[in-house]
Amino acid sequence: MGKSWLRDYIIKRLIYSVIIAWGILTITFVLVRVGPSSPADKYLANLAARGQDPAQVTAAIEARYGLDKPILVQYADYVANLFRGNLGWSFSTSMPVIELIKTHWIYSFQLILLSSLFAAFLGILIGIYSAVKQYTKVDYAFTFFSFIGISIPNFWLGIMLILIFSVRLGLFKTYYDTTLPLFSLDNLKALVLPVITLGTGMLAGYVRYTRSAMLDNLRKAFVTTARAKGLPERTVIGKHVFRNALLPLVTIIMFDLGSIVFGGAYLTEIIFGIPGLGQISFNAIFANDYPVVVAVTIIGTFLVLLINLMTDITYTYLDPRIRYD
Amino acid sequence: MTERLRDIVRRTSQHLRSNARLVNYYWQRTQRNKLAVFGLAFIIFLILLALIGPLFTLDPTAVNFEEKNMPPVGFTIEQSIYNIKTNEFTTKEIPGTWKHPLGTDSKGRDMLAMIVSGARVSLQVGLIATGIAIILGTIIGVLSAYLGGWADNALMRFTDVMMTFPFFLLLVLIVFIFGPSLVFIVLAIGLTGWTGIARLIRSEALSLRTREFVIAAKALGASDNRVIFRHLIPNVISLIIIIATLSIPGVILAEAALSFIGLGDPTVSSWGIILEAGQTSLNTAWWVAVEPGIMLFLTVLAFNFLGDGLRDAFDPKSNI
Amino acid sequence: MDNVILKVSNLKTYFFTRRGIVKAVDGVDFQLRRGECLCLVGESGCGKTVTALSILRLFDSPPGKIVDGQISYNSLDLAECSSKQLRQIRGKDIAIVFQEAQSALNPVLTIGDQIIEQIKLHLPLDYGKARDRTMTLLNEMGIPSAEGVMSYYPHQLSGGMKQRVLIAMSLSCNPQILIADEPTTAVDVTIKAQILDIFRELKARRQMSTIFITHDLAVVAEIGDRAVVMYGGKDVETAPVSEIISNPKHPYTSGLIECLPDVSKTADRLASIPGTTPNPLEMPQGCAFHPRCPKAMKICKQQEPPEIIISKEHKVSCHLYT
Repeated sequence: MGKSWLRDYIIKRLIYSVIIAWGILTITFVLVRVGPSSPADKYLANLAARGQDPAQVTAAIEARYGLDKPILVQYADYVANLFRGNLGWSFSTSMPVIELIKTHWIYSFQLILLSSLFAAFLGILIGIYSAVKQYTKVDYAFTFFSFIGISIPNFWLGIMLILIFSVRLGLFKTYYDTTLPLFSLDNLKALVLPVITLGTGMLAGYVRYTRSAMLDNLRKAFVTTARAKGLPERTVIGKHVFRNALLPLVTIIMFDLGSIVFGGAYLTEIIFGIPGLGQISFNAIFANDYPVVVAVTIIGTFLVLLINLMTDITYTYLDPRIRYD
Repeated sequence: MTERLRDIVRRTSQHLRSNARLVNYYWQRTQRNKLAVFGLAFIIFLILLALIGPLFTLDPTAVNFEEKNMPPVGFTIEQSIYNIKTNEFTTKEIPGTWKHPLGTDSKGRDMLAMIVSGARVSLQVGLIATGIAIILGTIIGVLSAYLGGWADNALMRFTDVMMTFPFFLLLVLIVFIFGPSLVFIVLAIGLTGWTGIARLIRSEALSLRTREFVIAAKALGASDNRVIFRHLIPNVISLIIIIATLSIPGVILAEAALSFIGLGDPTVSSWGIILEAGQTSLNTAWWVAVEPGIMLFLTVLAFNFLGDGLRDAFDPKSNI
Repeated sequence: MDNVILKVSNLKTYFFTRRGIVKAVDGVDFQLRRGECLCLVGESGCGKTVTALSILRLFDSPPGKIVDGQISYNSLDLAECSSKQLRQIRGKDIAIVFQEAQSALNPVLTIGDQIIEQIKLHLPLDYGKARDRTMTLLNEMGIPSAEGVMSYYPHQLSGGMKQRVLIAMSLSCNPQILIADEPTTAVDVTIKAQILDIFRELKARRQMSTIFITHDLAVVAEIGDRAVVMYGGKDVETAPVSEIISNPKHPYTSGLIECLPDVSKTADRLASIPGTTPNPLEMPQGCAFHPRCPKAMKICKQQEPPEIIISKEHKVSCHLYT
């Protein structure tokens, strides 16, 4: 029982994830091909801007990118390429897309990691407190603020923070300095505003989810049992209630990561000039450099897939009800 | 033939009358939530603004460099103006005027007019895109639950794939490929945002089928039709209303975000586009960035308040 | 009577809700004697569970509050004592077992964890000794392979086993008083019998003083020594069980007894007390039972009935006996 069951489940989920991954690739491929302008056109627009002869170039591109081959072959090539890690060539920066990704992913990672930690830590604490003190003024205040937090457009928040703290108060620089080592104090200081921007929406969300998960469990019978045993209140809340609230919370937090955080990070990077994957995708859009845009989309989606997979496995492992079925 | 028609009309009006009581009941409960009422009031205000506002404001596209960068009423700002003749900068104090109560942007366009026109855009996008997403999501959800088996599996896998795409990244990709026209943006948002709705509707439909009150109704002799209309649909409708209300802010923000980064429809003055312009003139004309942002914020807040209030009102377990 | 171990006097627990004040317990008096099994009997909503919760102040504190009365235990007034003192008594001197074992156990902790937690809280034992003690307890409760069960999670156990685990947990620190809140209500008949056996044994072997809450007079007849019949938040009749069954004084008590189906007779309909339990927000004037009472008199609508002593062990609150 026990362990082998978990292994089987993981295998099952892996296979499922592969199917989803295939679906992702297919849809992306379809989207790109179905678009009004073929990839060649985009490149052409690029070249035309640099004064080259379209007709010649078209033929060359079609040959190089295999656009003269039947669509299914193109598809097969596309998938094969991806497997090999060949994400295409970036026109605007003249390097393989994969290299571009390798140099820039760390910035996105740092931003998202710091924001998530900030949001999760604060959010969970406030959420627990809010739930325990339900119906008090503090709870209403926190609930109100969490409404505000999830309603504030995060790109506007970024601009406002820049306006207040950089422009008016001069506390932070208005541009991001890429020469600084990642974990230097100066660099982290420059990340304060972006982290607040990206983290606020997440924070508000976590407060709500935690509060809700806690409330769901606070009125359950086992809580009264715990008190009846003579346990101090902080143990009742911190050990008994929270452990039960943690399960759905973990799931929600991780799924949220995929749908909302990446979009938010994209915008935050653009506003603050942080050279992460969002920024390079943005630059690529205006340079008509489609392979980069497609690559960032695919990477983002695969990351979400990975996170979902890990969440699923973690949850299954954590919840004894599922484990020993 | 006329017999049947009369019968249907009679049943529908009975339906509506008994449902009117229900609607009133839910409205009473919603009312008690002050925030939800505020939300609704603001939304109505916004709708009115969008509908009749343009009649009262200046032309939002009227460019007038003489009056550029004027602050809102009540503020004065120092502007340094370069005089070509004398080759020097003179600083003048420019006060806000009632002609442009919310100030002007760097091209002299009236902010109030632009904001009003932006309201119209946001509401249109919000309603239409959400409508598309809901219709698509409901169809897929209901079909999936109803057909079951192989079709259900396939549809759900497809939904899973679409759900895995980070919403904004997919949106950016689509708008990048298909071009930033308002129609495409609305379509893109609608076609990418249906996944959550489909999931919810499907699970609700599935659970309703086996819920005790359905079995009880059938045991009492209710026909399938009756079960569907009197029992299943009212439950799903309330869910749809809540989902719709809570989806609209996301949609409005998505369009604003796209416009903000430059992927919006340039022929339209949506709040996001104004915000984009504001970003570059933070130093000289901060109100261009603040005003559309406040409107976006309040709009989203209003829908969230209302949606949350509706959700509580419809939840029989909450003690309002 | 100096073998009284717990004395509840004029207990009033009210719930202050948005829709009004719910007087769940409105003046309840009873005493628990050493080694006896006292049953609190009544329909759902009569306040018996809240009474039990009040003894250890386990009800939700906003909105609930003990507004009056005393709960005397060991020269302490549990209604007034500090949280610290209360926590020392909970689970150690006075223990309570809840009815739905299904939800009364923490689903994400093992059985062993939950019981050992309590033992270590109150008794100065190390982990090993606590574990041994737990195993002994589980064995005593008739749970086979106690060692394995300790690492199980609640959902892996059957209903009957869960109930036994709950009872074992409540006994883990050798309490003087055990309060059992409808332990046989949510289980099927065979398990019900087993649980009643457990309680009988507890009384016999450990001389446990028990407050047993139930709505089922048949159960009362089986294991109770004395019974307190409750209605509308008040105690309406108190007597030894044999007396209650053979010589009920309060019309409600007689009604309850008549409701017990008698297998030896044939009947067309099951007897029941007409009407329904009163809405706690709108209690009837005078005697709470008068709308349903076959013997109601004019005075019953106007005045609350006084407490009448019928005999040394038998008291009733009813206008019939003034």
